[in-house]
Amino acid sequence: MPESAVKPLSRAWTTADPLLEVSDLKVWFSVSSGVLQRVVGHVHAVDGVDLEIKTGETVGLVGESGCGKSTLGRAVIRLLEPTGGKILFKGSDISHLRGERLRALRRDMAMIFQDPYASLDPRQTVGDIVGEPIDVHHLAKGKERQDRIQELLRVVGLNPRFVDRYPHEFSGGQRQRIGIARALAVEPSFIVCDEPISALDVSIQAQIINLLERLQSKFNLTYLFIAHDLSVVKHISNRIAVMYLGKIMEVAGGSQLYRRPRHPYTASLLSAIPIPDPVIELRRERTILQGDVASPINPPSGCRFRTRCPRAQEHCAEEVPPLESYGDEHRAACFYPLD
Amino acid sequence: MTQPLLEVQDLHTVFSTKEGWVKAVDGVSFELHPGETLGIVGESGCGKSVTALSIMRLQRPGLIKSGRVMFKGEDLTKATEAEMREVRGREIAMIFQDPMTSLNPVFRTGWQVAEPLRLHHGWNAKKSLTSAINMLGKVGIPSAVDRAEDYPHQFSGGMRQRVMIAMGLTTTPEVLIADEPTTALDVTIQAQILDLLRHVNQEFGTATILITHNLGVVAGMCKRIIVMYAGRIVEAGPTTDVFAHPKHPYTWALLRSIPRLDAERHEPLKPIDGLPPNLVDLPSGCAFHPRCAFKIEKCSRDVPALQRVGDTQLSACWVTQAGTELKGA
Amino acid sequence: MIGPSRVAELDMPGAAIEGASTRPAQSYWNESWERLRANRIGMAAGILILIFALIAILAPVFSAVLTHFQPQTIDLSQTFSPPGGKHLLGTDELGRDTLTRLIWGARVTLGVALLTVAVSLTVGTAVGMMAGYYGGWLDDLLMRLVDTVLAIPAIFLFILMSILFRPTPVSLALIIASVGWGQVARLVRGEVLSVKQRDFILATRSIGARHLRLMLRHLLPNVLPVLIVAASLGVGQIILIEAALDFLGLGIQPPTPSWGNQLTNAESYFFHSIWLVNFPGLLIFVTVLASNVFGNAIRDAFDPRLK
Repeated sequence: MPESAVKPLSRAWTTADPLLEVSDLKVWFSVSSGVLQRVVGHVHAVDGVDLEIKTGETVGLVGESGCGKSTLGRAVIRLLEPTGGKILFKGSDISHLRGERLRALRRDMAMIFQDPYASLDPRQTVGDIVGEPIDVHHLAKGKERQDRIQELLRVVGLNPRFVDRYPHEFSGGQRQRIGIARALAVEPSFIVCDEPISALDVSIQAQIINLLERLQSKFNLTYLFIAHDLSVVKHISNRIAVMYLGKIMEVAGGSQLYRRPRHPYTASLLSAIPIPDPVIELRRERTILQGDVASPINPPSGCRFRTRCPRAQEHCAEEVPPLESYGDEHRAACFYPLD
Repeated sequence: MTQPLLEVQDLHTVFSTKEGWVKAVDGVSFELHPGETLGIVGESGCGKSVTALSIMRLQRPGLIKSGRVMFKGEDLTKATEAEMREVRGREIAMIFQDPMTSLNPVFRTGWQVAEPLRLHHGWNAKKSLTSAINMLGKVGIPSAVDRAEDYPHQFSGGMRQRVMIAMGLTTTPEVLIADEPTTALDVTIQAQILDLLRHVNQEFGTATILITHNLGVVAGMCKRIIVMYAGRIVEAGPTTDVFAHPKHPYTWALLRSIPRLDAERHEPLKPIDGLPPNLVDLPSGCAFHPRCAFKIEKCSRDVPALQRVGDTQLSACWVTQAGTELKGA
Repeated sequence: MIGPSRVAELDMPGAAIEGASTRPAQSYWNESWERLRANRIGMAAGILILIFALIAILAPVFSAVLTHFQPQTIDLSQTFSPPGGKHLLGTDELGRDTLTRLIWGARVTLGVALLTVAVSLTVGTAVGMMAGYYGGWLDDLLMRLVDTVLAIPAIFLFILMSILFRPTPVSLALIIASVGWGQVARLVRGEVLSVKQRDFILATRSIGARHLRLMLRHLLPNVLPVLIVAASLGVGQIILIEAALDFLGLGIQPPTPSWGNQLTNAESYFFHSIWLVNFPGLLIFVTVLASNVFGNAIRDAFDPRLK
C-alpha cells in the first residue's frame, strides 16, 4: 500500500476509523449569462452532505438524475474541488490538496465510469490504457510492466492476449472490464463506481456486479457505488444513501431501508421501482410522485423534497430538516417521517 | 377468443452490412388482441425494435424480406407508401425512447401535437389545437393551454414523453407501439409514464405493444409477453406463467441474474456466461446454446422452432420441448 | 499486490475472454488507411501530389538530365519559341526554358506551401490546445488574439509585409502563416473542447496524469485527424494565395521561378504565346484540385460517417 499522501490530522488513522468522512460538503457550479459572462447564480449540485464510509464496506448512493450523486462521487476523490465543507480520507483532510500531493493521493483512489465507450481513449490500445496508471506513478517498467498489465487483464476476466487491441473491438461488458483493470492498476483502497452497469446489457450486468464483489473481497476494497437502480444498489451495498437535490435524505442498511423507509422520498422511490414478478407487481401499492425534480439553481426553501412530497406541511418550507437518527445507523432528514 | 387486431406472420427483416446480410428479425410471428398490452422483452440487438419498426414500415435501411403484417384484413407489408402514411399516426401510433429527438425543436408543442389531426382528419388549425390542448391535459400536463405555446426544450424529459403520448393519441389509434418509452427517464418519472400508459389503455382501450429490456416493467404492465433473442422469439406466454415457470433457458437465466429489490438475503447473482451474440456471425443451431446451461447435442445443430410447451406457453428450446424441467443450483 | 495465485480463484467465463480474437488488431490509423486505399480517386490525387513533390525535390537532376537548361539561363535569341524541339514547353520573353522553370518553380511553390502549412499547424495547434485545455482567462486572451488576427484583411497585410520585407520563399511562407495559424487554432480549440468532455479525459485525470500527458497523449492523437485533413486541404488554398501574390508581384521575386510569378505579364503574352499561360496555370489548377480531392478523401477515411 502506498504511503498516504497527507499528514495525519491528530492521531494515527487505523482501519477501524472511517476510511472516508465527508462533512457539510458543498459543490456549487456558477451559472453565468450574457456577453460579459456575469455569474447569475449557482447550481447547488451538492449542498451540505455528511457521509461516512468505513474500510471495506460498500456504500450505495442513489437518486434521480441531477440529484448530485455523480458530483459527490467526483468530489470525494477530488476530481472536483469542493466549494465548502471537509473531506477526510484516512484521517487527513484532502479537501483542498493540490499539485504533487494530490497526484500521490490518486494512487489510493480510483473511479469506474458509466459509459464504457466514452471512458476509454479510442486511440490507445488496451495495454496503453491499463498501463497508463503504472507509467504515471512509475510503478513498473519494461517486462515487469508488461507482466502487471497481463495480470490485471486476467484479474478482470479478459484474455491477456488482447493487450494490443483497441477498445472498439470489444463489447460493452468487456470494455467495462478494461476500465476496471485501469482502476485497479494503481492498487487503490477506495473506488468510486459511477453507474458502472447501467449502460450494459441486462445479461452482462450480473457478470460485472459479481466481478466487482469478488475484487472487493480479494483486494479489500472500499466502494462508493453510485446508481439510479435501487435494486442493484441494494444488492451490492452494505448501506445506502438516498440523495435528492444535493442533499442526503436518508441513510440506512439495505434491507432496513427497503423494509422500513422513514423518508417519504425513499418510500416513493422504492415503490416506483418495478419488481420482476407479475404476482407481486399486481399486489403492490404505488405512491406515484407528482411533478418533476425542482431546479438545483433555485432549490425550494426548507426541505427540498417538499414540492413533491405527499406529507409536506407548512413547517417543511421554513426549516431544513436535519438528518436524525432512527437507531442502528438509520438516519433520515424529515419532520414528518413514516413509521 | 377475439379476432386479433394485428397479426405478424413469419416476419423476416434484414440489414445489409459490410460483413453480409444481418437477420435482425428472423421469422417472428405474434398476435395483438384488441385492448391488450403485449410486452416484447430482450436485450439490445435482439430485434425487438426492428420488429416494431417493420410493422410501421419504418425499418429502413432494413428490408422486409418476407412475412406478413395483417392489420384489419390488410397486409401492411404490401401497402403502398401513401396507404402506410394513413395507417401511421392515425391507426397505429408509435412513441420512442428519446422524446427529445422525436419532437421538432422549432415548432410550438401544441402545433406538433395537433399535426396528426390536421394531416389525417383535415381539421383546421384552431379546431386541431383545441383538441390537442384537451389531449395534453388528459396525459397530465398541467396548465395545458399555456404549455401548448412552449417549445419542446422547455419541457422536462418526462413531460416530453407525455407530449409524445398525447401526439400519438390525438387521432385515437387502435394500436400504440411504445419502444422503450421509459428507458431515458428517472424511476419516479418512469412510474408516472407507466401509470399513464395503463390509464390510456383502460380509458381509450388502445391495444399497446410495450417494448423494453426491463423485466420489471413488463411484469407490472403486460398480461402477455414475448421474449426475443438474436432476432427470434424464444419464449411467449402469459406473463405470470413465464415469470413463474420460464420454459426457455434464456428467460430462466435472465430472471435469475437480475438483482431484486425484494430479495431477502444477499446471495451472489447468477450471471449468464458469455456475450450476447454477434448477429453477423450467429452460432449454429439455437443462437443461445453457447451460453446455455442445459444445452444438449442437438442444440448446436438444429434451430428449434417455437412450439407449445406446457399449457399456456410457447418456447423455442429442444430441452424443454422434450419435457425437461429447468432447474439449477 | 495482485498475484497470480489469486487470479486462479477468480472465475473467468470462457466466452467473455474470447470474442475479439478472430480478427487481427486494428488500430484507428490502420482502418483509416484501409479506407483511404479503397478510395481510388483520392489515392490518385495523393500519388499525383507525391509525384510533383518528388519532381520538386529532384529539380536539379531533371534540369541536368531531361531539359539540359538552367532555370535562369537567358537566351535572347530564343525568346517566345513555341513548344517542341529543344524547348519541350517553349521559352519565355527572355528565352528561358519553360519546362525547366516549371520544375524549379514546383520547388518554390510546393516548398512555400509545405512550410506555411507546417508553421500554421504548429503555432495553431499549440495555441488552440492551450486555449481549449486550460480555458478561463487564457482561453479568452488567446481567442481574442485569434479574432484580431483573423479580422485583419489578409491581402493588405501581405502587401504591407512584402513591401517591408523583400519576400524570399521562407519569409513568404511566414507571412502567409502569420494569418493561417488563426484558423487552425480555432479548429483545434473546438476539437479540444469536445474531446475534453469525454469521460476518458476525466478517467486519465483520475489516475493522476499531468497536464502535459493529457495534452500530448490523449488530446493530440484525438485532434490529429482534424489536423491532417486541415493540412491536406490547406495546401491547395495556400498554393492559390501564393500564386495570387506572385502574380501581383508581391510574392516570390523574379528571377527565382515560381508557378505564380511565371504568370506575371501573362495578359500581355496571352495572345501570341499562350503556352506561357497554359502550363503554369494548368499546374496550379491540377495541384490545387488534387490537394482538395486528397483532403476530402482523407476526411472520409478518418470519419466514414461524414460520407
